[in-house]
Amino acid sequence: MSTKEQRERIELLQGTLDLLILRTLLLGPAHGHAIAKAIEFNSDDVLQVEQGSLYPALHRLIKRGWVSVEAGISENNRRAKFYRLTTKGRRQLAVETSKWERLAGAIARILRPAAQEGKS
Amino acid sequence: MLEELDQDIRDHIEMETQENIERGLSPEEARYAALRKFGNVTRVAEETRAAWSSMWIEQLLQDLSYGIRALRKNPGFATVIVLTLALGIGANTAIFSVVRAVVLAPLPYPQPDRLVMVWESRPNVKTLSASYPDFLEWQRNTRSFGMMAALTFRDYDLTSAGAPQHLNGMEVSSGFFATLGVEPAKGHDFTPLEDLPHGTPAVIISDRLWRTRFASSPQALGKSILLDGTEYTIFGVLPPGFRFISDADVYTSLAQGEPLLYNDRTIHAIVSIARLKPGVSIGQAEGEMSAVQESLDRLYPVADGNLGANIVPLKQQIVGDVGGTLILLLGAVGIVLLIACANVANLLLVRSAARTREFAIRSALGASRARVVRQLLTESVLLAMTGGILGLIVAELGVSQMLAEFPQSLPRAETIGVNLPVLLFAFSISLAVGIAFGLAPARKSSRADVQSSLKSGDRGSTRSHLGSQSALVIIQMALTLVLLVGAGLLLRSIGGLRKVNPGFNTHHVVTFKVGLSPSLTRTASDTRMAYQQLLDRIRRIPGVQAADFTNIVPLSEQDNGGPFWVGPQQSTSMQDAPHALYFETGPEYLNTMEIPLLRGRFFTPADTADSEPVIVISSVLANTYFRDQDPVGQTITVAHWHTARVIGVVGNVRHWGLGDPGTYNPSQIYISFYQLSDQWIPAFARALSVAVRTPLDVATIMPAVRNVVYGTGGDQPVYSVRTMQQVVSESMASQRLPMILLAVFAALALFLASVGIYGVISYSVTQRVQEIGVRMALGAAKRQIFKMVIGQGLRLALVGLTIGAAAALILARLISSFSHLLYGVGPSDPVTFVSVSLVLTGVAVLACYIPARRASRVDPMVALRRE
Repeated sequence: MSTKEQRERIELLQGTLDLLILRTLLLGPAHGHAIAKAIEFNSDDVLQVEQGSLYPALHRLIKRGWVSVEAGISENNRRAKFYRLTTKGRRQLAVETSKWERLAGAIARILRPAAQEGKS
Repeated sequence: MLEELDQDIRDHIEMETQENIERGLSPEEARYAALRKFGNVTRVAEETRAAWSSMWIEQLLQDLSYGIRALRKNPGFATVIVLTLALGIGANTAIFSVVRAVVLAPLPYPQPDRLVMVWESRPNVKTLSASYPDFLEWQRNTRSFGMMAALTFRDYDLTSAGAPQHLNGMEVSSGFFATLGVEPAKGHDFTPLEDLPHGTPAVIISDRLWRTRFASSPQALGKSILLDGTEYTIFGVLPPGFRFISDADVYTSLAQGEPLLYNDRTIHAIVSIARLKPGVSIGQAEGEMSAVQESLDRLYPVADGNLGANIVPLKQQIVGDVGGTLILLLGAVGIVLLIACANVANLLLVRSAARTREFAIRSALGASRARVVRQLLTESVLLAMTGGILGLIVAELGVSQMLAEFPQSLPRAETIGVNLPVLLFAFSISLAVGIAFGLAPARKSSRADVQSSLKSGDRGSTRSHLGSQSALVIIQMALTLVLLVGAGLLLRSIGGLRKVNPGFNTHHVVTFKVGLSPSLTRTASDTRMAYQQLLDRIRRIPGVQAADFTNIVPLSEQDNGGPFWVGPQQSTSMQDAPHALYFETGPEYLNTMEIPLLRGRFFTPADTADSEPVIVISSVLANTYFRDQDPVGQTITVAHWHTARVIGVVGNVRHWGLGDPGTYNPSQIYISFYQLSDQWIPAFARALSVAVRTPLDVATIMPAVRNVVYGTGGDQPVYSVRTMQQVVSESMASQRLPMILLAVFAALALFLASVGIYGVISYSVTQRVQEIGVRMALGAAKRQIFKMVIGQGLRLALVGLTIGAAAALILARLISSFSHLLYGVGPSDPVTFVSVSLVLTGVAVLACYIPARRASRVDPMVALRRE
């Protein structure tokens, strides 16, 4: 697998991944592995995210102040970093969600007539 | 935040592994699955760091230190590139410094583009000095100019307070400094009162003279100094650095000068400058000037008949036709930079081919493509910048060398220097070059297929590199040929000029000027006596074969033209009469210069102010105006003098330059200085130069001359000492400067191009070692292999040569069309083209010799095993 392909996939997922992380953290603080698991589980394993790409995204969110970090203990009693949604992040999630819905709606409207033509 | 990143990632993978084990995988499988799911650890870490944006500085530092390390590992490569660039950038910066100072920079006066010179013109002469009465009419009757001023150049002997000193200066009218927009820094300017004759003699001095002669004392103002025996009161001191055309130290008013030169409407001795009023164009001003000239024509038909006017922007007047030559040199030096860049690009290509594997490994370890390109660019820019800095040193040395070699041949040379704009220029070239040649290999390298590079060992995409390298070498060869042709044509021109017979013997002659003591030159007859005695003393110096004086030295650009009429009277107006160049000399002048006497005799000491006026004419004048008769015994009327009898004919002298086409004032007339009217003696005595014929060295003869001159009085400076050979060289400066520079550039190009062809051939030999091994194993002789390699180089050279010759044919035509640089040689001179091509081919073969020899010594066994 060439570097080029990997790179393209990361770029494709970037904005979406941020949204998914924010949505996951809405349920409460979580550590990195748990976030990855939750995204996989909640999407019925449709979204095959490379777990590693979580970390650049998390750090971008921290830098923007949408997510904060605190130390904690994971379920199997290990020290872990817990990521928490900030108030600012909560507001951003609302913005991002409505943006995403508009986008998804628009794409759906474009795709639907094509699908109907395909059927007939 | 970031410091724990590695730990976070490890924990993450650990958790995933644990989960996998719980799902029933073996520990090893569990760990692999976790790693696979996580993705490239290095890249994740790097991109996470990149999320915190100061990253690029960190990367830049990393790239820099890596670049330096990589270059250190390969010092030969780095040295060649940096030196190549230093030479290319240095030469460009040097020439650019000169072009900027001479051509581009505005004149150092306020609103310099409004300043013009105003000339009179005759049908054949575009820029004729004005007569002072005409100038005064202009000043009164024109509206186009805000201010107008007259000046004339003059030297002075300063004899009060300290050693006698010879000073350059000017006589100016009162508005001179104001027209230029300059005021004295101390004291005051001339007022219109100083324009009146018989006023108090006043002087304005330069800051330099004020500092050196008066120790910057404010008390100098109002003091008087002795110039040429007259007391002048110091009115003012000019601001430091003030300069108009020449380095003058004293400025006196025109009204104090020689009245003969300024009161006669027929004597053209004035340079006039003016400042155009805002909004007035040169065309409008010229229109107004023509109207004024027409009215003068009607008022004074004898003196001013047929005189026009010509207005030239001051900057154009000062820069002259040097601009074209400098632009030509800028082009030539640009070619050198191109060749240098081609070399560098070539070397980088070879290196990037060798590094394909390195970059493949870096991509495999997670370096993104952009990161690889940035790394390569950093290295190139690093090289270019280092080259640029070294280039500045080269430029500094080059400029000072050039100024030392040609002190007089460039106008405004005093402002030439490597300074801020030039520094910026050098750096922008360095950067552009760095990016330009950095990108090509970077694109190639980063595109390389990682897996195939890793598998195939060292040789990635080498074949395609060899193609572009060959193309670069062909371009280098072509460009080099163009430069060689340029230098060759100029060399042939100089050779042609050197072969021209100047009409006198330029060897073993020294010329100099003497400021005779004012006490010896009070009256005209005293002056005649003083010069005669001075020359008698000089002639008695052992080693002096002949000596006499002349008012104008051949080939030195000194002018003394005037009208004459064949026959006993002035048959036409001044403008319509034929003009000749007048030499006022002593009787020994002909022997001193070894000018051939063709008919009759030259002057003797018996030709004096009291005897019959006689003249000697040159062969051109004789052939033009006395075609069917013996000129000796005929009469010629000389303006402002007498009707004189022709006593001899001498050979014509190439006064206006060895390559002069003979269109401006080709007729020459000699008048004995001792026969000049009393009123003219002071004006001409000031201009006299002494010429001495001696087999001795200048350094040997001049101390003896100084002794003799000082012996006659303590106040007589000796100055402007030049051998006739120096005068000849200086007269060729307009060809010599570009020739020497072009030769240097061509040599540089030849060297760089030979390094280029050497690099490519030697690289190709390395690539083909196996092939050569096979050939030898199959029975090829060493000689055949040798020939094969040389042939490869020769093919590149010949292709380049053909392209270059075609380009040179076009460019040489361009050179000959926009300037007078070529003499006695056509732009497509076959001798130049053939010899230059031979040189280039020879050098190319020589450059291929080493790799060819290496190829012919390849051991087939070793080569075949190499895999």
